[in-house]
Amino acid sequence: MNGVLDIATAVLLVAGGLFCVVGGIGLHRFSEFYQRTHAASVTDTAGAGLMLLGLMLQGGLSMVTVKLVLVLAFLLFSSPAIAHALVKAAHGHGLALELEIEDEPGRDGDAAG
Amino acid sequence: MRLGVFALLAAVWLALSGPYTLHEWLIFAFGIVSVAFVWRLYLALERAAGGGFEFFRASAWLRLPRFLVAFAVKVAAANLHVTKLILSPRIELHPRLRRVPASQKTSFGQVLYANFITLTPGTITLDLRDDELLVYALDAESEADVMDGSMDRDVLRIEGGSD
Repeated sequence: MNGVLDIATAVLLVAGGLFCVVGGIGLHRFSEFYQRTHAASVTDTAGAGLMLLGLMLQGGLSMVTVKLVLVLAFLLFSSPAIAHALVKAAHGHGLALELEIEDEPGRDGDAAG
Repeated sequence: MRLGVFALLAAVWLALSGPYTLHEWLIFAFGIVSVAFVWRLYLALERAAGGGFEFFRASAWLRLPRFLVAFAVKVAAANLHVTKLILSPRIELHPRLRRVPASQKTSFGQVLYANFITLTPGTITLDLRDDELLVYALDAESEADVMDGSMDRDVLRIEGGSD
């Protein structure tokens, strides 16, 4: 039983790590600010989530797991708030978006530049 | 008299399981101070949001598991899609900016929806104004995740609106 749990943990940790690396590669390969935030959110969700899940398997039914669940919950609240703050600040200060499609351009004033 | 009962209960608790050493007293005191401080922040937030957070009702917690499953499935699918985009030999993005209605009744529900979209790789919420979200998506497939309204319904359901 322990062997199965250990293997599952290992798989989850490696998978999480891979998603973190993918997020990093995306940060490099995407060409502008707004696109890069999407790559970063891969690290925040899949990367951190899978790693925390893997650690929870090791914690079992204990306070450690409760704390890991709380860490995940805090991450899921803070990371979109941070991403939104960054993007909204960039947008509000006129960093142009490279767009192919835009709904009702200019209605919010600053989107059209 | 009532204060006397309070003191008696406190004394019994202290004798049986209260803090004894300085270290334990400190942790106990810091605990009370932190809880009181955060509770105070919460009250201020609730006032700023103009009303109570419906989410702290028991029924919302009962609906939470189903929401979390839907959330995990959508975030996982979006992660795979964006991973494919990142690792494809030629980066091909078709970024778009879309106005999306947020049909939640409470501001808390709308913020939850906006955060749901932002957490999903491939889509990010730029602004929330007049019950409308301004959503930036990487390509048509990411955009479709939001435009089909299924995430909106997920949040509506946990908010306790219609169905």
